[in-house]
Amino acid sequence: MIRVAAAGDLHVGPEVAGAYRARLSALAGQADVFLVAGDLTRHGTAEEGRIAAGELRDLGVPVIAVLGNHDYHSGAEEEITGVLRDAGVTVLEGGGTVLDCTGTRLGIAGGKGFGGGFEGRCASDFGEPEMKAFVRHTRDFAERLGACLQDLDADVTVALTHYSPSADTLEGEPLEIYPFLGSYLLGEAIDAAGADLAVHGHAHKGTEKGLTSGGVRVRNVALPVIQHAYALYRLDVPEATFRRSVRERVSAW
Amino acid sequence: MTGMSEYLAAHIQERLAADAYELGIRVDVRGDVVHLRGEVMSEQRRREAEEAARAAAEGREICNELHVVAVAEPEAEERLS
Repeated sequence: MIRVAAAGDLHVGPEVAGAYRARLSALAGQADVFLVAGDLTRHGTAEEGRIAAGELRDLGVPVIAVLGNHDYHSGAEEEITGVLRDAGVTVLEGGGTVLDCTGTRLGIAGGKGFGGGFEGRCASDFGEPEMKAFVRHTRDFAERLGACLQDLDADVTVALTHYSPSADTLEGEPLEIYPFLGSYLLGEAIDAAGADLAVHGHAHKGTEKGLTSGGVRVRNVALPVIQHAYALYRLDVPEATFRRSVRERVSAW
Repeated sequence: MTGMSEYLAAHIQERLAADAYELGIRVDVRGDVVHLRGEVMSEQRRREAEEAARAAAEGREICNELHVVAVAEPEAEERLS
């Protein structure tokens, strides 16, 4: 059994410094890991990155984070990543990590992700260079995410992104902006690898609970959605044989 | 809503992104009133969003119905098996 705490879209800034951390005092007793699904800052300055690092340092559990679009706004994403890592936060961008949670190996692969839309209603890698770049940014990330999930030597695997791998958890958002909120390419990569859970943020007006097309549970943990400082999920460890059969079934599609 | 007020709503949304760094706020222009709906992270940001909207609202009244997100500690966990 693994206990996962997760939140996204913290959007910290000077005027709320310390306010979020004040809600995390019980977290270490409730969870084995804290996943942060991007948009730690409001407009992506290094100062906000330092504030985010202050909110997340020394929480008593491993903190795994990805950045979001707001964290890229000021071109300081590398500096933000650096100050978070200095504070002990593992920041993923197309990579993964494996944690030992009292004998159970929890593998997490993730990164920001990107948009493009969902099956049958999405952008194509066609036409102008700008459109190709848009779609290829998502496709490149999805390929890295899928390979990383496959390579994780873990009992339980979680995909952590900012953008959504499923349209389910966007319910409540205007349909017209779905292509800017996520991509089926992320969900397809997650399904091919057979993850146990996918966690994302970004869609403030969306819905917490959904599924990928392949049946992986998806949770939108943007703070305006979960209406709490974090959500808590308890994952039972699947039997090894069951897990293998799921992977074989998914990869056979 | 007339076509012109739709453009005005779009311009206000642009201003909310540029000045208040808020992307998820719904803007509706109804007659002489601009309605703001959605969620922000603090009371200060609620005020800043209103100011940003007012700067682009061409003199219209602002009806600020933005809500500050509550971040209470969680009450329960969800079991995924």
